[in-house]
Parts: sequence; structure tokens; C-alpha cells
Amino acid sequence: MSKILIADDSKVMRQIVVRTLRQAGHAGHDVIEAENGRVCLDKAIAEAPDLILSDWNMPEMNGIDCLAALRASGNQTPFGFVTSEGSEDMRARAAEAGALFLIAKPFTAETFEEHLRGLL
Amino acid sequence: MTLSPATGPALADVQAITEQVWSSFLGDEEPLLQRFTEPSESGSVAFPAEQVWSAAVSVHGDWTGSITVELSGAVAQSLTRLMLALADEPLEDADIADAVGELVNMIGGNVKSLMPGPSALTLPVVAAGRAAHATDLAEVARLDAVWNGEPVRVSVHAPRS
Repeated sequence: MSKILIADDSKVMRQIVVRTLRQAGHAGHDVIEAENGRVCLDKAIAEAPDLILSDWNMPEMNGIDCLAALRASGNQTPFGFVTSEGSEDMRARAAEAGALFLIAKPFTAETFEEHLRGLL
Repeated sequence: MTLSPATGPALADVQAITEQVWSSFLGDEEPLLQRFTEPSESGSVAFPAEQVWSAAVSVHGDWTGSITVELSGAVAQSLTRLMLALADEPLEDADIADAVGELVNMIGGNVKSLMPGPSALTLPVVAAGRAAHATDLAEVARLDAVWNGEPVRVSVHAPRS
């Protein structure tokens, strides 16, 4: 069983991500949640998840700043974005900062399956 | 000085994005159907619902504009139940605001991706009631639709340049 940290300021979206993980064949993992990038950063360090799925646009600290802070601290936890913005510019920024992928909303279970294959 | 017309996404793109978001999270069982209205229609004639929720996000950058969603109270409650996979439990206003905000966030994020960048997307602002728009903004696209017989409106506004 893996531990997955889901960061999104929307409780609705965190629940949809959990549901989609289940539909993509990843039921039964230990899921922890964060409502912004600051809490995500704290939990990433304190709880040592195996994977972080994070929104980009969040209050307090956004997802890209959270990822930058994590990597600057030497933390290499696999990190993927699940966000409403999927432009080439943002995909390039995500990759440059060390994200493994960027899943644009709306998404399907198949998209999750494709990106998470071999990670969990 | 003559102002240039405001620019923004084509209505067909707004419709395609909205339908994609809608069917992904709310299913295809009850489709979102386009509703034809006259541009001059306003008030309760243009949006026949007693209770309304509205939400907006703005894009700032190489393209600047705002994306607004307006829903009848019945649609807002139904979409919240579907998104949270809830049956008959009573809903908190906070849950409805969260669901409606996430809806406009997804539609707005996809509109942003279509427009020239770089640009930044704001967090959603949600209100119980119709949306109001600044007077320096012009409507560049408006999708009027019905879902389960209830009105849904997605509009895009941009400054006159």
C-alpha cells in the first residue's frame, strides 16, 4: 500500500481525485489531503508520501512554488499536477520544476491510469 | 479615441469546453442543451430562475478577461451532489460554493489555455445571486443552456482595448 498526498483547495476536487484513483485501479492506498501548497509542503516532509498529486492554483502557496520548495529542500517525492490549466507553457514550467506529469481537468480514469502506471 | 472590440474565445470553443467539463463530472445521462436567447434579453427573462449561484475567474496576461458561470439553485445543488457523490443528505452552502467554484475554475482554466499567454488565472469567486460585470468589460461569448430544464449560463467578458 502506498501513501498519496492530494493537494487542492477544493474539497470537491480532492474527493473527485480520490474517486478517480479508485476507478483507475488504485483503491486501497493511504490518502492524505492538503488544502493549499503550504500544508502540502508540510505534509510532504512530515508524512513522507510515495506520490503527491497537486493542484496548481491554490491560496497560501501555489503548487509550483510548493514543488520548487520541496526540491530545494532535497525532497524528491514523485510529484504530478492535476490542474485546470494544461497549456504548453504550464506543462513546460511543470516539467522544468521537476513534475512527472500534468493532468488537465477535466480528466478521466484512463488518463490517471496512463500517468500513474509504474508509480504506485 | 476609438475603442477596439474586445477579443476572446469563439462561442463554439466555450461550448465545447463547457460540454466536456459537464459530461466528465456530471455524466452524459442528462445532457447540457443549448438554449437560444436574444442578445437583448435581460433579467429574469434571460435567466428564468428564482435562486441563482454564480462564480467567476479572471485571466490576466497577454489575454485578459473573465469567465462567469451562472446556475439555477436546483442545478447548483444537483451538480454538488453529483460531484461529491452524495444522495439525499442536506447540503451546506460551503459545499455548493466549492462545487460551483470548481466548475468555473475548470472552464476558465481551459479558456485560458486557448488564449494567447503567458497569463495567470485567479482563484474562483462564488456568490449566491446573479453575476455583475464591470462597465469597462464587454461580453465576447455567451453560452445559454438548460440542464434538467433549468438554466445555465457561461459567459466570457474582456476589456475594450
